[in-house]
Amino acid sequence: MSTKRWMLPDGMEESLPPFSWQLEDLRRKLLDHYRAAGYELILPPLLEHLDTLLTGAAQDLERQTFKLTDPASGRLLGIRADITPQAARIAARRYADVPLVRLCYLGTVLRTQPDSLGGTRSPRQVGCEIFGEENLSADLEILSMMLKTLELAGVADVHLDLGHVGVYRAIAARLKLDEEEESALFDILQRKSLPDFAEFAKARRMQPRVAKLLSELIQLNGDISVIARAREVLASAGDEVMQALDVLEQSATELQRKFKKLPIHIDLAELRGYRYQTGMVYAAFVPGHGRELARGGRYDGVGHEFGVARPATGFSADINELLRLGAATNAAPAKKAVAKKAKKVVSKKKR
Amino acid sequence: MTTLTIALSKGRILEDSLPLLAKIGLKPAGDIGRLLRVPTNHPNISLLIIRPADVPTFVEYGAADMGITGKDVLMEHGGEALYEPLDLGIARCRLSIAQKKDAPPHDGIRRLRVATKYLELTRRHYAAKGQQVEMIKLYGSMELAPLVGLADVIVDLVDTGNTLKANGLIETEIITQISARMVVNKASMKTKHAMVQDWLDRLSGVVERG
Repeated sequence: MSTKRWMLPDGMEESLPPFSWQLEDLRRKLLDHYRAAGYELILPPLLEHLDTLLTGAAQDLERQTFKLTDPASGRLLGIRADITPQAARIAARRYADVPLVRLCYLGTVLRTQPDSLGGTRSPRQVGCEIFGEENLSADLEILSMMLKTLELAGVADVHLDLGHVGVYRAIAARLKLDEEEESALFDILQRKSLPDFAEFAKARRMQPRVAKLLSELIQLNGDISVIARAREVLASAGDEVMQALDVLEQSATELQRKFKKLPIHIDLAELRGYRYQTGMVYAAFVPGHGRELARGGRYDGVGHEFGVARPATGFSADINELLRLGAATNAAPAKKAVAKKAKKVVSKKKR
Repeated sequence: MTTLTIALSKGRILEDSLPLLAKIGLKPAGDIGRLLRVPTNHPNISLLIIRPADVPTFVEYGAADMGITGKDVLMEHGGEALYEPLDLGIARCRLSIAQKKDAPPHDGIRRLRVATKYLELTRRHYAAKGQQVEMIKLYGSMELAPLVGLADVIVDLVDTGNTLKANGLIETEIITQISARMVVNKASMKTKHAMVQDWLDRLSGVVERG
């Protein structure tokens, strides 16, 4: 069997004109914006020691990381699958004595598995992180940076999805589940499968009161009125849950004031990044595109493996994907401009 | 105007889905036997008629906002990319293991050979029991496999059990009960929430009433 030598491995992307130029334009626009907003640019290496890439918060990345051994040291290396842990390392080491750090990054990461069927394994990750600020103001700043990033990429009709992992964490903590059960319940919540949950609760002989709370939680999604509904139906769930709802309400109010036309969707059972997120989580969606375009949230306590634990919040997105979706909306005018320029070049040459 | 596309599974599930949809006032307005994309009596809702195993893919990619397919298909498809909020209670059957009626007990030395079209599901089921099995992928006529010595057992859907009986097979274990589920694309749930939730509520109303 002869291999086609020109073929790229599954999910590996390359950018060629005119896309590559658009990508470069967008890269400049984004970095200029981040710089003006006071973010420091970091360019971490592609390869690091595997254990550094997978510290604490990043355990989920184990399966996603390409690995090789370093002939120089014999140690296991990983190709980064996510720049966030690298940013956390840099914040903890280089900026250990700076109380508040704003970092931004843009670079290719590699993943062993695509996020979706036939998806990319080489996203070009862009993101902003704030370390050292536990106040909600930091989350709202990062959210604004995320929305601005989408706007600069030309992505229109963005819907924001808001959630808070503290709600589920507080309720699940009461159940004293073993690891296997915990992962089964988590999977059910991710699929909002009420029928599967009913079966799970029955099989585990779950207390009817707790089962009721969880089945309500699965259904707590919709417009902002969901927060008020949650206060009612989760009233018995404890202070932690109420505090999480306060955070969500405050954020939603603030966002509505600042971005008047932004549709906000609340989903209390959305546990994206549950294993490392600690507070509010969010994602941006556009209609007709099955997956989120950008995601972010709070992950306090990051960096303790490197000696400096502190609150953190950040977002990331795949700039290749943003551009594809953005270009779909602005395709027509852009094409014309390029064609015109091309004509000009030709006529100059003739002269 | 917000539009909604609903993917329906061809075959038995379709026969059971249409009366259910009619109960909530949704009727195809076109030749459902021939058209692959069928308009409905609601100008902003259309139906796609596709194979059950393709429904998760269409909905995951957002080619359809919602879909109806069997729990067997969803379990085989795996992953957390879809919402599965509603058991429609239609097209009920079970996923079972069956073998030849007069088959001697498996010696446990050789790996058990299992013929199925549900490779993932079968692997998971036996792995949970701590058993590694050899799987043979077939697309149909599973019942034949043990008869001609291709496999020791089969994993397949069983409805009445008549086909098994007619071919001299017996059901030895029920893996799980199966019924049709409503699935929803994650982005549609968030960006078209009011409309999606409205139809989900209507459906769950008629499902509960039975």
